[in-house]
Amino acid sequence: MTRVEFIARLRSGLVGMPAATAAEIVADYEAHFADGAAAGRSEAEVAEALGQPDRLARELKAEAGIQRWRQEQNPSAATGAILAVLGLGAIDILFLLPFFLGVLGTLFGLFIAVIAVFIAGGFVMVVGPFAQAPGGALAAILAGLGIMAGSVSVGAILSVFTVWLVNATVWFARLHYRLLKPALEPQSAPPASGEV
Amino acid sequence: MNAETGPTGSIDVQLKKGVLGLCVLALLSRGDSYAYEIASRLSEAIGMGEGTIYPLMRRMQTDGLVETYLVESPAGPSRKYYRLTQAGQDALIIQRADWRDFSDAVNAILAEPQAAAATSTEDSQ
Repeated sequence: MTRVEFIARLRSGLVGMPAATAAEIVADYEAHFADGAAAGRSEAEVAEALGQPDRLARELKAEAGIQRWRQEQNPSAATGAILAVLGLGAIDILFLLPFFLGVLGTLFGLFIAVIAVFIAGGFVMVVGPFAQAPGGALAAILAGLGIMAGSVSVGAILSVFTVWLVNATVWFARLHYRLLKPALEPQSAPPASGEV
Repeated sequence: MNAETGPTGSIDVQLKKGVLGLCVLALLSRGDSYAYEIASRLSEAIGMGEGTIYPLMRRMQTDGLVETYLVESPAGPSRKYYRLTQAGQDALIIQRADWRDFSDAVNAILAEPQAAAATSTEDSQ
């Protein structure tokens, strides 16, 4: 593989990353080729020693996703981190998918429920006083406020749990990075297995 | 599904994977360096793919163990150097101690299997 080919494949693997970060990564590998050339190695040799550009790109992308998740804990960063980590193949998606969808579905449902309860609380607070609520107008306002406050605190607990869940997923995936393996081991015939 | 990870080969890879970060910390503790130099040192010494240094360096940067700075180069573009942060130096001290304890223990077990087995039977009696 030539330098141009390697960089092109790396670049296409990095699509979707912030342009500045991708450019920085590409510059790293360009510098590597330049240093290799200065040390008297051919482009093919350097490319061979570097490993597969697509795999490297996936790993770098996952790292960037995790970094973003650490800096800004919002749903978009969480989705990005989880997708990038899944792209690694570090988590066996087929095995975990039912579980994952179940958890995500439950969380989503709970969030919707919390929002619904919040709105219902607001409704009780606003409409209660006019609708001759039992206990009088003040009781209805207080009850409405109470319901809203309750839903906010449940929502907060849910958010904390979701953040924790994303962190746990990222941690688990990093522990099980399979990507280093092919780059670590020279591409050789698979060892005869079954013999101890 | 996971056929390429043979039970015999995986130990080697897992070991290397685990100590790569420690090796980088140790190299950088002796002086700031750039990725090509680190990669060639490590690929010679422990047979690691050179390309993996970049994801590793980014991860260490994310974790706050290393930081980068640019040095003007007389020929060509400026070069990116890595240096240890305080957290990196602390991590090196801890991980080096862990590694020594671990490797001493493993070496002790590997060195004299019969003697070790003999003492353990004596102990149990």
